[in-house]
Amino acid sequence: MIFSRKSKESKQRNLNIIIVGCGRVGTVLTEQLYAEGHDVTVIDSDPARMQQVTDLYDVMGIVGNGASYKVLEEAGVEEADLIIAVTDLDELNLLCCTIARRSSRCAAIARVRTPEYSAEVAYLKDKLQLAMVINPEYEAAKEIARMLSLPAALEVNSFAHASAEIIRFKIAEGNILDGMSLIDMGRKIESDMLICVVERDSELVIPDGSFVLRSGDIVSFVSTMKAARRFFMRIGSKQFNIRKTMIIGGGKAAYYLGRRLIENGIGVKIIEKDKARCEHLSDILPEASIICGDGTDEDLLEEEGIDSVDAFIPLTGLDEENVLLTLHAADVSSAKVITKIKRNTFRNVINKLDLGSVIYPQYITAEVITAYVRGLSQTKGNDNIETLYHLFNSRVEAAEFSVSAESNICGVKLQDFHLKKNLLVAAIIRRGNVIIPGGSDTIEVGDNVIIVTTNLALKSLEDILQ
Amino acid sequence: MNWEIIVFVLGNILKITGGLMAVPCLVALAYHEPQGWYFFWTAVISAAAGFVIARREMSNKTYHLKEGCAATALSWLLISAVSALPMHLCGAIPTYTDALFEMISGYTTTGSSILTDVESLPQCALFARSFSHWIGGMGVLVFMLAIVPSSGGSKMNIMKAESPGPVVGKLVPKVKETARILYIIYIIMTVIQFIFLLAGRLPFLEALEITFGTAGTGGFGVKNSSCGDYSPYVQWVVAIFMMLFGVNFNAYYLILTGKLKEALKMEEVRGYFIMIGAACALIMINMAGTADSAADFVRNTFFQVSSLETSTGYATVDFDLWPDFSKAVLIFVMFIGACAGSTGGGIKVSRLIILIKSMLREIGYYLHPKSVRSIKSDGKTVDEATVSSINAYLVTFLSIFCVSMFLVSLEGRDLMTNFSAVLTAFNNMGPGFADVGPTKNFSQMSVLSKYVLMFDMLAGRLEIYPMLMIFHPVLWKETFEKRGMRKRHSR
Repeated sequence: MIFSRKSKESKQRNLNIIIVGCGRVGTVLTEQLYAEGHDVTVIDSDPARMQQVTDLYDVMGIVGNGASYKVLEEAGVEEADLIIAVTDLDELNLLCCTIARRSSRCAAIARVRTPEYSAEVAYLKDKLQLAMVINPEYEAAKEIARMLSLPAALEVNSFAHASAEIIRFKIAEGNILDGMSLIDMGRKIESDMLICVVERDSELVIPDGSFVLRSGDIVSFVSTMKAARRFFMRIGSKQFNIRKTMIIGGGKAAYYLGRRLIENGIGVKIIEKDKARCEHLSDILPEASIICGDGTDEDLLEEEGIDSVDAFIPLTGLDEENVLLTLHAADVSSAKVITKIKRNTFRNVINKLDLGSVIYPQYITAEVITAYVRGLSQTKGNDNIETLYHLFNSRVEAAEFSVSAESNICGVKLQDFHLKKNLLVAAIIRRGNVIIPGGSDTIEVGDNVIIVTTNLALKSLEDILQ
Repeated sequence: MNWEIIVFVLGNILKITGGLMAVPCLVALAYHEPQGWYFFWTAVISAAAGFVIARREMSNKTYHLKEGCAATALSWLLISAVSALPMHLCGAIPTYTDALFEMISGYTTTGSSILTDVESLPQCALFARSFSHWIGGMGVLVFMLAIVPSSGGSKMNIMKAESPGPVVGKLVPKVKETARILYIIYIIMTVIQFIFLLAGRLPFLEALEITFGTAGTGGFGVKNSSCGDYSPYVQWVVAIFMMLFGVNFNAYYLILTGKLKEALKMEEVRGYFIMIGAACALIMINMAGTADSAADFVRNTFFQVSSLETSTGYATVDFDLWPDFSKAVLIFVMFIGACAGSTGGGIKVSRLIILIKSMLREIGYYLHPKSVRSIKSDGKTVDEATVSSINAYLVTFLSIFCVSMFLVSLEGRDLMTNFSAVLTAFNNMGPGFADVGPTKNFSQMSVLSKYVLMFDMLAGRLEIYPMLMIFHPVLWKETFEKRGMRKRHSR
């Protein structure tokens, strides 16, 4: 056929991807998947919103209801490899995917975020033959909970079912790490960890042993949770266990977070304006204490004990409110604060504000889907990308690969590899044990390998070689 | 304004111009013509300049619509200006203004000529003229998008500025792919016509030149009599292919992907064929009994209508001698032009359809002042913004038309000449009536008129706004103010 589209780098093929709904998650996904070279078609019922996306990215836009077969057909569902439904409505998303699955052989990903449905995710996935069900609010809650388990860190991302973590923190003024080289740090403080990336004055460095840390550096390292706790204790970070949390805003993310925290035996207080929502929340989260009131009211916050909680998490629908609440909390209390931001814009301003831990739910979702798509687009199938994180404003990528079959990477000592520049084999996870690799370690079948790199878009483990 | 990206585009255009200029060199080589050296050196210098200019690393790779428009308009000016150089230098055309007129006429697929004796031209110059039709037909920048490695940014804005028609849709998600598919269809159709013409015993080079003129709906002839001396078979082939190149290329894509039904359902394509049929019928009724043989009569009528509807401008007879009613019909089809998304010019059938529908709606408002009705095209609602932009387009079209006519009238020729000269330039047609009729040419026009017509040709080809954009004072003010500021900073 004269119209067959073959990419020049024949190792991977370009996928035809349909994204239904271009809200915030849809837009981030479009940006990400377009940047990875795929042919993206976007469907949205609002022409204006559609226009915005097609103006920004070289993708095809179709105005219409994504659950209509005619519209899907126009979008080329028959030749699509993947459909991702991320409209506001769960039901519509599921219907889109069902119709697409029935009419073509594409894989389907649906966003489902209503708690009622998300409890039945496994059933839905199986019966509707979905490749994946995503729930940004739930993922965000999971990430927040993970951050709360290590309050000294700015960000905690897990690999391999939480057996290894990549942790980001900022070296405070006057910390003992200030002026210490990495070799000394390994000798004096903790050897069971590997510093992958250091951000200094907004420059990123993948450091070697002679690198000297300074206060103000933002450091990412890979280790186990246990080693990380030990490390933070030794460098003298204030250690405390979170026992009481206060959440402002009672949306879906608040529910998921609340439930998770309660399961871990942590006290939860949710402040929500809307009376009906409060009643519903107390229905589904009986263990939490629900306060009906304006979370942006200083007096109310004081009355409810903002100065005595261990963690303060603003999860209102307005970014501006969340940011102000964070700044206020940092002023009046010593609690760990995590800010949720849902808009994609003004990230540079937000970074300058020094809010501490910030999470962007739509990026978490995009990472999960990008990881899946990379696995799909890669034709040689011996090592699959399992988890993918974008760190430092998407300038660094941390990817976890599972090695499922023999390849030319296996059994070779790491020191004998010709690795690409700015790339680090950060950890090898073998049978649940985390190995911080040295030059004489090897990668074997069955391992999970964590790669940290500034060369974005790794698709398979073999991409790490020059 | 992001001038970096515009300069980058222009650099690439220079490279492409260099490549294109090399083709006439081959012709010169085959015919042992020394004039080929002018084409050769122009090609070398242009390509070298292009490589120097486009090498610079860009800090900002985004196009907005204004950058797309400015880049398009400037590219067309640049490629015409460079291509005119060898035409003038090799002695084929005595003045540079005339050479520029000829090349702009070539790239915009107008086909208006200032040459009185085409047959005396060297073969390489003759080929260069016709070749410019072929390149201009699908678009220089679309060509660039199809072959130049992606430079990032939203390339849609360039395609929007160059593609004919009110709304520009992509065939596939990526602009580069879309551009490639369009060119593949274009090349396939060109090759088919070329084979048909060869079968009609046309010499190789002449068949190629006539094919280029047809494919781009340009209309530069290689004989002084345009297409009048060719055999009936060749005339039929040219007439049919002119009509085919005036069809929206999306229809061909649909056919190639096995969606023949959808292609036949396209309102625009249907309207286009109905108009050709109706125009032929009206002219035949009007001129019944005047011709010698029925076969010649049918062929000549169809050829002329097909040629003027698609804005090609080939002629087999002097239609300036036709009765006034027939001429009126021809003027009407000249105004409307071909389909959007084809290589033809004019207001475009799709615009006409939407204009008529919005006119009917307006009348409906008088009957039911509170009625709400959306305008549909191919079963889909047309955005209100698109409808009003089409209305604005018509107004802009007419205003530029009037201003141009005033300027051309300064020359003191008769009304029909002035009117049809502007009409034919603006709609990228070729020949007009009276002093610029099919047997005459534009060489007698004053220099001012020639520049006015050159502007009209470019404006007509690029759908007016890109050409107007580059004259907008705000654009230049913004640029110069920024430059000034940067200088102050650096101090």
